[in-house]
Amino acid sequence: MLAIARKEFLHIIHDPRSLMIIFAMPIIQLAMFGYALDMEIKNVDLAVINYDNSIQSQHLVEQFEGSEFFNIFAYNGSTDDMEQLFLERKAKAVLIINHDFAQSFHRNISTPVQIIIDAADPNAGTLIKNYCSQVIIAFNQKYASRPTLPLEVESTIWFNPDLKSAFFFVPGLLALLLIMICALLTSITITREKEMGTMEQILVSPVKANEIIIGKVLPYIGISILVGALILVIGIILFGVPFNGSYTLLFLLSTLYIITALSLGLMISTIASTQQVAMMIALIATLLPTMFLSGFIFPLSAMPKILQIISHIVPAKYYLMIVRGVLIKGNTFFQLMEPTLILVLMTFLLLIIALRRFKGNLES
Amino acid sequence: MQQIYYIIRKEFKQIFRTREMIAIIFIAPLIQMLVLGFAITNEVKHVKLIISDRDDSFISREIIMGFQNTDRFDFLGYLNSNQGLKDAIQGWKAQMAIVIPTGFSHDLQRNLRPEIQLIVDGVDGNTAGVALGYAQGIISQFSQNYLNHPRKRINFKKVHWAQQEERMWYNVNLDTAQHMVPGIVVVLITIISMMLSAMNIVREKELGTLEQLMVTPIRKHQLLLGKLIPFLFLTFVELAIVMKVAQLIFSIRMEGSLFLLFGLAFLFLFTTLGLGIFVSTITQSQQQAMFVSWFIMVFMLLMSGLFIPIENMPLLLKKLTYLNPMRYIMYIMRDIFQKGSSIQYLAKDVLPMTFYGLVIFIFGVLKFQKRVN
Repeated sequence: MLAIARKEFLHIIHDPRSLMIIFAMPIIQLAMFGYALDMEIKNVDLAVINYDNSIQSQHLVEQFEGSEFFNIFAYNGSTDDMEQLFLERKAKAVLIINHDFAQSFHRNISTPVQIIIDAADPNAGTLIKNYCSQVIIAFNQKYASRPTLPLEVESTIWFNPDLKSAFFFVPGLLALLLIMICALLTSITITREKEMGTMEQILVSPVKANEIIIGKVLPYIGISILVGALILVIGIILFGVPFNGSYTLLFLLSTLYIITALSLGLMISTIASTQQVAMMIALIATLLPTMFLSGFIFPLSAMPKILQIISHIVPAKYYLMIVRGVLIKGNTFFQLMEPTLILVLMTFLLLIIALRRFKGNLES
Repeated sequence: MQQIYYIIRKEFKQIFRTREMIAIIFIAPLIQMLVLGFAITNEVKHVKLIISDRDDSFISREIIMGFQNTDRFDFLGYLNSNQGLKDAIQGWKAQMAIVIPTGFSHDLQRNLRPEIQLIVDGVDGNTAGVALGYAQGIISQFSQNYLNHPRKRINFKKVHWAQQEERMWYNVNLDTAQHMVPGIVVVLITIISMMLSAMNIVREKELGTLEQLMVTPIRKHQLLLGKLIPFLFLTFVELAIVMKVAQLIFSIRMEGSLFLLFGLAFLFLFTTLGLGIFVSTITQSQQQAMFVSWFIMVFMLLMSGLFIPIENMPLLLKKLTYLNPMRYIMYIMRDIFQKGSSIQYLAKDVLPMTFYGLVIFIFGVLKFQKRVN
């Protein structure tokens, strides 16, 4: 068994490029997510078509200028050809002030201010709309007399007061990288032996099936733990992710997740006959759900029912709860009992099926 | 010509020989599109909510009613102790809590501006932010109704204000799929044309059959063309299937010219096929090839604006995206689908994309040696 582990280890070491990628990937992704996964948009390009040269309209434009959200410029064309601004991507929104703005502002209770928003990206569109309302509310408070709210709302965000994205993507990345290394790589190496015919050579040797498997996956467990530690250290040092819970608890539960992922990889290798197939199955069965059906980036609650049901069998969903719980909420083992038990159950099921199929494959 | 034809025929036979391969090429992309198309949304529903109503008055119950009559919140029950709230949120039982203080209605009626407290679990930052927005919306709706109540109505004649009226162009219903699906199409054609072509060439290396091909009188360009044309063909078949399904399932609107879309996709394929060849020259096994191309793809994806809008990136990253061929095709696809842009508006993306594509392709071809080192 150790001999196989050593062979597999040498095999990995002999390929420094892949090894480098295994370690470089999380670092690059951390950096990208850390600095770029900012859902706030700043400097939205806003074109202004001002048909009303009054003091009131000036005030309104200045209010927009003073806001940190907008990068505002005057557009000399008319409303008929303003679509060009969107097609050329010069502006994300156009503010139109009608020629009777000042007049109407004096006379009527409510004066419309038209804002055309490029909502091709609906998230950006909604954000821009909200920024505009903030500016217009400020304008009203300064120049108009709109009744203010009769009560105050105080919002408190627990555990992550600044809503730092690092707090949720570092755990997510951990879940993603671990499953990628464990499930994707192991399924491919085992399929590789099958495809190359070397599996049969190992089989005629007096090694037992269980030993072959354990030997093959041992080096990957080692690498996973190293990569996991690397992500955590960077996340804590560079992005200020807290570690409020117990180190031992996280280590133990992470090992559990690694074993779950390995069982999944093993299971895939029993289905696939070539490496290309193994890769594709692994992508669909592990990476896709881990990124999109675990609650890593996008909330599960608004997805169609069928996807929500599938999300219950995605191991990362439970591991994410564990990592976020231990790191950020300082959860104890008792509070994480439910996700832990589910992971244990999953691992057992996967292992039993995978070993059955593996032995079955060997005998046939 | 004859030789190229034979290789193409061999490739097709090889690709379609295994049932699994057909599944990979045609079914896998559809699964990916369905999952991504439905999963990528920032909408939030069923936020688990507990309420601490310490006022217990007619007015406080009216506010709570606003939270019960929506599928955005799942009202779990009342809880009055602070420790209880903390335990519920820390123990994953609840995601949000509303605290209405004692004497709330009393203060409200005397215009003392009482304070409602919203507590939200920030561990999932996205959900937290969106849920807070919803809650504030419900409360301000209550305030409006309260102010407009006949007893309370302020004399509106003296009041003037500006009222925002926004028009959401290109996506009136704010449907995320309209924006994401064209982007996902780019990812799918990249996977087929780059990853699979790289792995396919390396497979011959790994199995030793590349050496056999080399001793034949087939020339290098014939070999490469024979290898690439099947993938080019498959990519376009897939593009057509995926677009049809996208229209059926997500009712994606296609505003622009289909012909333009396919033409520009073809120009983008120089990049991906070139990268595929390049990857095959620097790797020895399919595992490596997959890994290297996966790495390149993740990198290109993150810098393409698919998930993270380029406008949100810090300046340095924003400038780096200009080096990324995928950045251009992402804009092109989305603009053709959503805005119906014509070539004159897309020229500034097409030119750099084609330039990078040709450079990468030529580099890949030059690096591909038809001999064993």
